[in-house]
Amino acid sequence: MRRYRLTLPLAVGALALAAATAAFARPNHTTLAAKSQAISCKSTMKIAFVTPLTGGAAFLGQEQVSWAKYAVKTLAATLGLKIQLVTGDTPVEQGPAPAQALAQKYVADKSVVGILGPSTSGAVVASTKTYFQAGLAHISPSATHTDLTIGTPADPLLGTPAFFRDVPGDYIQGPTDARFMLNKLHVKKVVIIDFQEPYSVGLADVAEATLKKGGVSVIRLSAPNTTTDYSAYVTRVPSDADVVFFPTQKPPDIQTFAQQMIEQGKKAVMFGGDGSNNPAQFKVAGSYVSNFAPDITGIPADAALIAGWKKDNPGKDVGSFGPPSYGAAQILMNAIKLACAADHGVLKQRRDVIRNMKKVRIKNWLLGGSFRFSTKTNDPLNAKFYIFQIQSNGRYKLVG
Amino acid sequence: VDTFIQLTVDALTLGSVYALIALGYTLVYGVLKLLNFAHGDVTVVGAYIGFGMLQLLGGSTNPVMPVWALLILITLAAMAGCAVLGVVIERFAYRPLRDAPRIAPLISALGVSFFISYSMQLLFGAEQRNYDSFSLCNQCLYLKGFHIGGVRVPLIRDIIIAAAFALMVVLWFLVNKTRTGKAMRATSYDREAAAMMGIDIDRVIVFTFVLGSALAGAAGVLYAIRVPTGASYGFVIGLKGFTAAVIGGIGSVPGAMAGGLILGFAESYTAGYWPGSAGTRWTDLVVFSILIVFMIVRPQGLLGRADIKKV
Repeated sequence: MRRYRLTLPLAVGALALAAATAAFARPNHTTLAAKSQAISCKSTMKIAFVTPLTGGAAFLGQEQVSWAKYAVKTLAATLGLKIQLVTGDTPVEQGPAPAQALAQKYVADKSVVGILGPSTSGAVVASTKTYFQAGLAHISPSATHTDLTIGTPADPLLGTPAFFRDVPGDYIQGPTDARFMLNKLHVKKVVIIDFQEPYSVGLADVAEATLKKGGVSVIRLSAPNTTTDYSAYVTRVPSDADVVFFPTQKPPDIQTFAQQMIEQGKKAVMFGGDGSNNPAQFKVAGSYVSNFAPDITGIPADAALIAGWKKDNPGKDVGSFGPPSYGAAQILMNAIKLACAADHGVLKQRRDVIRNMKKVRIKNWLLGGSFRFSTKTNDPLNAKFYIFQIQSNGRYKLVG
Repeated sequence: VDTFIQLTVDALTLGSVYALIALGYTLVYGVLKLLNFAHGDVTVVGAYIGFGMLQLLGGSTNPVMPVWALLILITLAAMAGCAVLGVVIERFAYRPLRDAPRIAPLISALGVSFFISYSMQLLFGAEQRNYDSFSLCNQCLYLKGFHIGGVRVPLIRDIIIAAAFALMVVLWFLVNKTRTGKAMRATSYDREAAAMMGIDIDRVIVFTFVLGSALAGAAGVLYAIRVPTGASYGFVIGLKGFTAAVIGGIGSVPGAMAGGLILGFAESYTAGYWPGSAGTRWTDLVVFSILIVFMIVRPQGLLGRADIKKV
């Protein structure tokens, strides 16, 4: 009995000590930044792609990596660089931990001169300060959460100067989706369901605000992101709801939700965000989905690029997550080239890449038109979101 | 009333699958006193075997046989495949540790769980798998069914609930009305005494794994036929099954069935009735709070037997 009396306080004490250690065990940022070393631009430099390669959003990461590889293969040599692409996996189901661990790893590896990604907003939130303090530029081809480039009043450092993206944020996507519902679908009642992770909650919040401003009655639901059966949530959808807006990064989930809506005889139309934009996995006819990229197969100037990528990836279709990844790799490599030129063939410190990111201009941008960053934020200038409707043959038709 | 009926149907669908998974935990625990943490992953293997069979038989858009035959065949294939897997796991991961301290097979079980999960990711990729049962017979599984009040209970739910309860009845019969079942119960009660009475303990244990894993295979198919599943889903599925088994009283077959249904009802009613978004947000909180309450108030579970030790 006495042993037990001692054991319990000891166990509690050990737990408290472990918790305190974890809370204060932050990386020594000054040391990390100071350890930067000059890198010869003729040597092989690494770019790391941080994206979900396993888990429910793996479709996204695998598509992105294939395009980034193609960008490195076709562009690095023409820019006079030797680039090695390495990859890091951030499964969305595992929360922020993998992104934090990878950030420490790439910060410590002095041959890593820039980061592609993190691809998901949650992973960016988890790692952007670490990259910033180490002076590592990171450019995401798919993280759209509004706060990532502007910060929040509670956390102004979230929008660090080291984070960039070549796709527009949810402050554009949310209102675009909501305005489409208001003006084209003439909705009166909308159910919004979020997936309890930064991307989903952020996009749901922005869309909800716009819809409420438009006088729409909004019912807000929230599901843990491990949910796979939505029956009880579907039960909460009123029979007179016009639309169910479900921003998720796992398309099979919105597909299941849509199926279960039909199962219960609910008539509301499903509407997904860019994370659900996957014709192979979300295919309930009549549903809508938005995305930051148009279908580039319809852009004549991209024909050769697509043909080259398809040669390297036989049997694969061009999705909407890959092309912005090619673009992000293009921007990052151009910034490295500019930094190398400014430092006379030597990258004095990795931070120099950040300084050159906003100087990058791309005339023939693969998503159409030209590319440059906004002067106000690290978002692309004049970028917009597109709305697609799923047709009965499964194809996504551009409708807005 | 319609909402209540709908949520009850949801609860029965979900709960019956949880019950099947919980039965696997409880059977193994009953006989070996081992928490088989790999059981959730075996369930996912069952779902994948079913998916593979479905593809072999033409897929959901172009099946080579009637839907009922297709569903029976893929379920049987998953049960058979998982039964074999269960035997392999028992032989290589648990039998060598049968007389080791109880922590050793527990750690081995966790290792097997990770091994299966990551091997599946390596072999089949990490993306979610969807049976696309929606496309079978022009959505008949979703559009046909019967009505209770104003609620349609679609065919797919009828199939899941009926199949799960049928399997539970078969299991109950096997455990309570057959010689092998009697041997299982004897082994569960006192392994050494059972051995002295001439019961082949190894055979009983292998049979228990065959039974538990086959149920996991069936649960995998019944789960994945409606919702997407992925190689890494075994942990969450297993956790729910384990929780159901503990709530019902681990080691008790009727307890596992009751625990599964309690879990299903708790999830559905919380998500459906708790006002605002809190209910849907806190479903898991409520479910695991029930587990904690049981651990405090009735640690042996609903129908479990309290351990009585000679002091």
